[in-house]
Amino acid sequence: MDNTLSFTKPLLETPFHKRTFEACYNNDWYRWAGYKIAREYSNTELEYTSMRNTAGVLDITPMHKYDIKGKDAIKFVDKLVTRDVTQIKPNQVMYIIWCNEDGNVIDDGTVFCFDKNHLRIFCAERNLNWFSDTAIGFDVEVKDVSDSIAALAFQGPLSCKILHLLNVENIENLKPFFFDNFDLNGSKVTISRTGFSGDLGYEIWCNPEEAINVWDSLFKFNRDYKILPAGMNALEMVRIEAGFIQPNADFMSAEQALRPNRMRTPFELGMGWLVDLNKNYFTGKRILNDLKKKPLTKKLVGLDIQGDKPAIGSVLYDKNRKEIGIVTAGMWSPSLKSNIAFGYVDKDHMKIGSKVFAEIYHPEELEYKKIWAECLVVKKQFFNPQRRHKVPADI
Amino acid sequence: MKKFDVIIIGGGHNGLVAACVLSKKGKKVLVIEKNEKLGGLANYAETLSYISKEVIDELNIKFEKNVSENFVSALSEDLNHTVLKINDSKNIEFLQTSASNSDQKNFINLINKYNLFARTLRSFMFKRPPRVKSGSKSDIWQLFSMGFKVRRLGKKNMRELLRVIGLNIADDLEDNIESNTLKGLMSNEAVIGTNLGARSPGSILNLLYNQATNNSLFRINKFNTNSFLNIIENICKKNNVEIQTNKTVEKINILNQNVNSVLLNTGEVIEASAIISNTDPKTTYLELVGAANFDTDFIRRTKNYRTKGTVAKVNIEFESEIKIKNLDSSYSSGKFVYAPDIKYIEHAFNDNKYNKLSLNPCLEFYINKNQLSANVYFIPYLTNSSHDKEKILSNVKLILEKFIEENQIISSIIETPNDIENKYNICGGHWSHGDMEIDQLLMMRPFYGSSQYSTPINGLYLCSAGTHPGGGITGINGINAAKQLLKDKVNG
Repeated sequence: MDNTLSFTKPLLETPFHKRTFEACYNNDWYRWAGYKIAREYSNTELEYTSMRNTAGVLDITPMHKYDIKGKDAIKFVDKLVTRDVTQIKPNQVMYIIWCNEDGNVIDDGTVFCFDKNHLRIFCAERNLNWFSDTAIGFDVEVKDVSDSIAALAFQGPLSCKILHLLNVENIENLKPFFFDNFDLNGSKVTISRTGFSGDLGYEIWCNPEEAINVWDSLFKFNRDYKILPAGMNALEMVRIEAGFIQPNADFMSAEQALRPNRMRTPFELGMGWLVDLNKNYFTGKRILNDLKKKPLTKKLVGLDIQGDKPAIGSVLYDKNRKEIGIVTAGMWSPSLKSNIAFGYVDKDHMKIGSKVFAEIYHPEELEYKKIWAECLVVKKQFFNPQRRHKVPADI
Repeated sequence: MKKFDVIIIGGGHNGLVAACVLSKKGKKVLVIEKNEKLGGLANYAETLSYISKEVIDELNIKFEKNVSENFVSALSEDLNHTVLKINDSKNIEFLQTSASNSDQKNFINLINKYNLFARTLRSFMFKRPPRVKSGSKSDIWQLFSMGFKVRRLGKKNMRELLRVIGLNIADDLEDNIESNTLKGLMSNEAVIGTNLGARSPGSILNLLYNQATNNSLFRINKFNTNSFLNIIENICKKNNVEIQTNKTVEKINILNQNVNSVLLNTGEVIEASAIISNTDPKTTYLELVGAANFDTDFIRRTKNYRTKGTVAKVNIEFESEIKIKNLDSSYSSGKFVYAPDIKYIEHAFNDNKYNKLSLNPCLEFYINKNQLSANVYFIPYLTNSSHDKEKILSNVKLILEKFIEENQIISSIIETPNDIENKYNICGGHWSHGDMEIDQLLMMRPFYGSSQYSTPINGLYLCSAGTHPGGGITGINGINAAKQLLKDKVNG
């Protein structure tokens, strides 16, 4: 039947949709950049467990991809981001953030270097407008290639083993934050050793026509290895454990925030290590130079919370019950067996080891249980196993 | 290698005034001008109706007023022309007109109303505008005093000012006047040199703004532009300002966000600790300094700064002395306006909106014996194509034929906004280096982050018409920029 109730364009289906649709028992879809992506296939905890113990497959096709081509490609990215990318080598990946003129973070992402005249930026939010305006005065062409590349994240301790079994040559020697072209069961793919899970994992980029073959190949050894497709809810869990922050969840993108005091600088997000003030001029450098000398008034920190009830949306207090901040993301971590969260705290509590309190409202059979929980300020990166960095990777 | 304290890019009148102020304070100044002749766009100006007290005091100059009487003639197709005699802004009389007595009275009342408002605007026109978002006491005090001056108009007048300031000129005229010729005459002053039609909001503000900077609604010819330019050029020479003509600056070299030197088209590199750019903001930032040295937000604002020129200059030489049909030749020293009614202006403006030249353009011209010099609008600046100049000329000639007694044309020269851009390096060939609209005025001129004559680059200043108070031959931009530079030097 025709949809007569709405003039909205229906959500797009990714090249993997035929498979994700079959796998999505719950029929629970999430809207990501105009695409349908499974929020939960059947059970979030199970999907999470597969990512931490075997491997999980995530459809990340809607991720925005921008091709930067031209003589000034590296110069352009160097002007855009806070890190020095002038030394980037072919086949290298760099984690980058970019700021506006007030030194507030717009978005984060990764940049892939194909050669010195061709780079590609991957990010979560739309940035074509910002990139195009940044490109003024540079000999580059910025092109949105989001729809022409299908992408899967293949994350988990057995991910390398599965790829090895699929005869992906020399995959174990791919270093973290590097990528290369491979043959995967007859499909030409680009594989990078990157991901959002904080564990050993790969991201696989291919032509939309190859999508189904790539998907099916990954599940080829499932009799022994129980690989599961994982939804966005499971991804949210692993990314919190890994200490990765997300725009418009943990901070407002400076291009989208309406209230000026809602924007955040890299220092406030604990990303000061990404800001290189000795490099060439980049957007925000002038202000970041001044900000670096000033003490912070608030900071996003990791919290280790007493008890087992997740502190989602909690307000943070000091010992005198004075409000000092808010929790932006929280969960009970099954792997770590601890109650973890990200939260903003004020200047007196941003040191590792400080104590703050969270007021947790936990729903229990139609009644809220109000919990006053002590929290320890810790590093944001809760989960960081050895195998993530190991070269050659475990097969 | 040569080294100067200050290099001024562009020998327009604002650049020369800035050179005067700086050299008087003992700075070693170099002025670089692209053309043979100094003065820039001021060379186009037929009139100079006001020289502010600020300029006279700062440069310590004396001026002779033009003694000749000032006339403005609004040409009408039925040859029933309207002629105004203007002694000063308060003293305007009708010498001949087809308008009714009540129309004449209302017209004078309207002018008086605009005069009152323009006087209020003028009180903060020649000062440095406050910065937005700075939080400094002086800026807040300045904003407060601006509000206070508006309030001092009294309740009734303040309300009227606030009512009309965002309004279009056609609405206010249609409320008060019936004569089409008078409506056209007033609209001409509100829209010439802008991207506004008579029915575009903000045209009254533009009229008041021009009136405030020129101290005259009809831009009459009180002083000689050339002698003004000569005087400031002489001051420069007396103060040992070095002036190099026929040279263009290709690049401003930046080192660690500080100005370092300029690169000329001759290959010379000249060092300086400060640079004042008298080219428009867009050219300065995007061409001379380069976008790579600025934040993306700033480049966005630069890109969005509106600089589309709309006026072409046409000079025609006739065989014998020009005579206007049905008009006393004693009025020919004045200005002639052909903008017969609001509808005509709106139609001319319509074409401009779509980047086409007006088939029936409006004209403002001056005659001097057998020479005629006209400002023709709307002739838009074109980015990807060029104008058919012959067509513009034939359109102009068709109009002139209606009013000029038979005469043979010997030669004619036309300069479109594109020509003006090339000749003077002004982006868009705009009269005022950018539209004078409410979002590009005062502390917002040229745009946020670049106000108060300074720029994000240390030691780089702007003094062109792209800064407050905008276009017109005021010299204020030059004085204020020079003062800002001196103030920053004192503060380190």
